[in-house]
Amino acid sequence: MADPPAFESPVVTIGRAAGAGSITLTDESATTKASVRAADGTPAASALGLTFGCAEARGDVLVARTRPDEWMVFGTSQAVAAHLGGLDLSGYASTVDITHSRLMFRITGLAAAKAMAKVCSIDFSDPMMPSGACVGASVAKVGCDIIRHDIDDVPSYRILCDRSFGQYLFDALVDAKAEFG
Amino acid sequence: MLLVPCPNCGPRNASDMSYGGEPHSRPDPNTASPEQWRTYLYLRDNESGWITEKWYCSSGCRKHFKLERHTLTGELRNPPLPGNKTGGHK
Repeated sequence: MADPPAFESPVVTIGRAAGAGSITLTDESATTKASVRAADGTPAASALGLTFGCAEARGDVLVARTRPDEWMVFGTSQAVAAHLGGLDLSGYASTVDITHSRLMFRITGLAAAKAMAKVCSIDFSDPMMPSGACVGASVAKVGCDIIRHDIDDVPSYRILCDRSFGQYLFDALVDAKAEFG
Repeated sequence: MLLVPCPNCGPRNASDMSYGGEPHSRPDPNTASPEQWRTYLYLRDNESGWITEKWYCSSGCRKHFKLERHTLTGELRNPPLPGNKTGGHK
């Protein structure tokens, strides 16, 4: 079987001040992303574990339970393949590589929560959305998955959306963060 | 803003949800009369007071559930427990 084509993000970031100021916005869409759907009681669901709405780093991958019956796994292609390779998919369970269908942005900074609050109705306060929390919500009217995964205690949110909304959402996030310097 | 208590995600803005309206059982299309089919498609009880209605958490957990809403005050009550799609008391 031929290797899949190299990932190419459709988002144009040059000249959009994504990295300027105290909040940085990066396009991490090239990260390998896999979705696992598994019904309650299946071996895959038991193996992946986690409470709905939680995420945790496991070695080289980040695992997030984004729906009651869906998990997402992020990392390098080798790490994701290694993590999912031994998964027992008996029963109602499946894995799909969604790297090419979903984009992933990362917004990082002390005021990142304030920037996010401008485009999303979720409560981004620390008690409600601590590091390791994930949630599905609309961001600038785009259905997204948001995972908080802090970097050295600096708030950082990964935002996943459908590929076709990528450029619009990226521009909306650049606009949202602009006022925070 | 209407805060809808999703059984999985907790209280969420109604804009994160899709409204499903009053639940009615679907008649058998092979045996239903035109009147029954028209009633199912177009007619609603539109009661004043507590009604049971369907919601879909389209941005969050992507699960359907039922709860009760007071059509005069907008109060919401009796969301189902997580994993239970039924909800409501009717």
